[in-house]
Amino acid sequence: MTRWGLLIGVLAAVVLLSLTVGVRPVSLAEAWRALTAPDLTNPDHIVVLSIRLPRIVAGLICGAALGTAGMAMQVLTRNPLADPGVLGVNAGAAFAVTLGSLLLQRADAGFLAYLAFPGAAAATVAVFSLGGGFRGDASPVRLTLAGAALNALLVSLVSAVVLMRGDTLEVVRFWVVGSLADAGARPIAAMAMAAGGGLALLFALAPRIESLALGAALSRGLGTHPGRVQAGVLVSVTLLTGAAVALAGPIAFLGLMAPPIARKIVGAALRPGLVASALLGAVVLLFADTLGRLVFAPAEIRAGVMTALVGGPAFVLIARRLSPGGTS
Amino acid sequence: MTSRASDLANSAEAAWSRRRVLACLGAWPLAAGAFGAVPAIAETGPLRFTHTFGETVLPGPARRVVSLGYTTHDALLALGVPPVAVRYWFGDFSYGVWPWAQPYLGDARPFVLTGEVAMERVAALKPDLIVGIGSGISRAEYQVLSHIAPVLMHEDADTSYGMPWDVMTRTLGRALGKSAQAEILVSGVREKFSAARARHPDWAGKTAVPAYHWGGETGAFVGADSRARFFIELGFQPTPAVANLSGPSGFYAPLSPEDLSPLDADILVWISSYGAVPDLVALPMRRTLRAHIEGGRSWQARLSPVRCRSAACCRFPSFSKSWKPI
Repeated sequence: MTRWGLLIGVLAAVVLLSLTVGVRPVSLAEAWRALTAPDLTNPDHIVVLSIRLPRIVAGLICGAALGTAGMAMQVLTRNPLADPGVLGVNAGAAFAVTLGSLLLQRADAGFLAYLAFPGAAAATVAVFSLGGGFRGDASPVRLTLAGAALNALLVSLVSAVVLMRGDTLEVVRFWVVGSLADAGARPIAAMAMAAGGGLALLFALAPRIESLALGAALSRGLGTHPGRVQAGVLVSVTLLTGAAVALAGPIAFLGLMAPPIARKIVGAALRPGLVASALLGAVVLLFADTLGRLVFAPAEIRAGVMTALVGGPAFVLIARRLSPGGTS
Repeated sequence: MTSRASDLANSAEAAWSRRRVLACLGAWPLAAGAFGAVPAIAETGPLRFTHTFGETVLPGPARRVVSLGYTTHDALLALGVPPVAVRYWFGDFSYGVWPWAQPYLGDARPFVLTGEVAMERVAALKPDLIVGIGSGISRAEYQVLSHIAPVLMHEDADTSYGMPWDVMTRTLGRALGKSAQAEILVSGVREKFSAARARHPDWAGKTAVPAYHWGGETGAFVGADSRARFFIELGFQPTPAVANLSGPSGFYAPLSPEDLSPLDADILVWISSYGAVPDLVALPMRRTLRAHIEGGRSWQARLSPVRCRSAACCRFPSFSKSWKPI
């Protein structure tokens, strides 16, 4: 179990790093005082409590949600390149945010977060429906194709809106990258509950997802209803990625990257894989966010960019060491 | 209000871009008002302009002007040569011209260019001058446009959106054969500034910072930016930290949300859209600024065109009564 110890240790280290490192360095002791005996006139305490803590919490939720949703998608579609974005979640959220901001003339982070969640959910339902999910004949290929088509459509629509109305450009420009910078203004508690629900559902469904991964015919023989399992996974992935996208915008790549590394560490079984993927997702996102506020300080590089920058090379290294077609 | 720290959130209803106040400040030449009695001292022969993309030669004073800069049409209107095309920036006003400049339109019905510059549209207007100052066009676009008509750009020392208003007005005046009129406009605005400084000697030496919060990013307008210069011309100074900032664009500089201390000025003016106000108010480190701690005199106001012009005319503190506290 040293592998679990290592994962948890790394996560704890990243959390501490994120709590203490930044444009305004805060000692560990000061950070502790901020948490135990907060003094709201002390700038260090304000930074820890109002800026870094929300970022850490949002990063943990968002990273874990994307890691687990990615794992579920990859197993369900039997496609190692599947990530939550395949279901159109990010494009759906981006479209809802753009259109909502234009129609309602709002641009504040907390409000846009509430638009993102239904946008993401609507897109997922649309992909499931287009992919034949409600007729019970959704195959991984159909779902992937439907997702790609809807993604393209929504991205074009977002571009069209932005080109026609320049005032939405800044909203979109900030929003599509993904960032934890204004996590404090976003509905963290509500999204934590949504992601928690999704994760619980995914855990409950895990054995049936594994049996479905053997193929629809074989899983039917084993007593699984493919349609119901698919619908269940869809609901949980929607909750997970909807929460993530509402908290941080579309963080690319994390859902793709965390699962194979998690399998490499803890093996092919789904439940341990989900936990490891959640931990890894949180580690990578928090580390990326912390690094992003240091590299070009005082300006910040958004977590969405840093995740790809940090995760990309690591992912390529690990992918090269995975045996082709292997499950671990 | 001058001795107290103030934290003003200026917000425009339909306004989004950081460059918005440039539009207001572009109205300075108009604010100068009186002109027309002085005969233009025309330069003889071709007019030569050196700028960031090289040299542009005009055979003579221009009359059909396409204005691609987001605010350059204000100066053209003030100089009495309404452009044949105006670049749309923001605000729902006919011909993209804000109310303070509407009277100067006369019978002109300029075409409104939106979004990217459509070269064919510009060519169809058969201009004899294209103003690219403050338009953000690239060198490639400049080269294409140069086949249509001579193109004026900002000087090499300036950034795309950072040509000082007075230099811009003089350059356009020369291109229109109206240098003398441009001088009158510029000195008229300067007089208003010096009158404002004379009325408020206590402003001298005080610090003032125009700040923005948009898209999760907080920062200050710096350098030759019109918003930054506006306060300097009124007698204020930027805080030392802001004076040392230079953003990648040269006209604004982002700050870390963990340290907004560069904004800790005697007067802090937030120039932001209404949509961003909830985020702005919620900024955690705003609580550490003097403007917030000593405040009690914090306002927000919709930057309506009329007030905007008042601001340009330097009566800015007097209309703060209509602002509501935040």
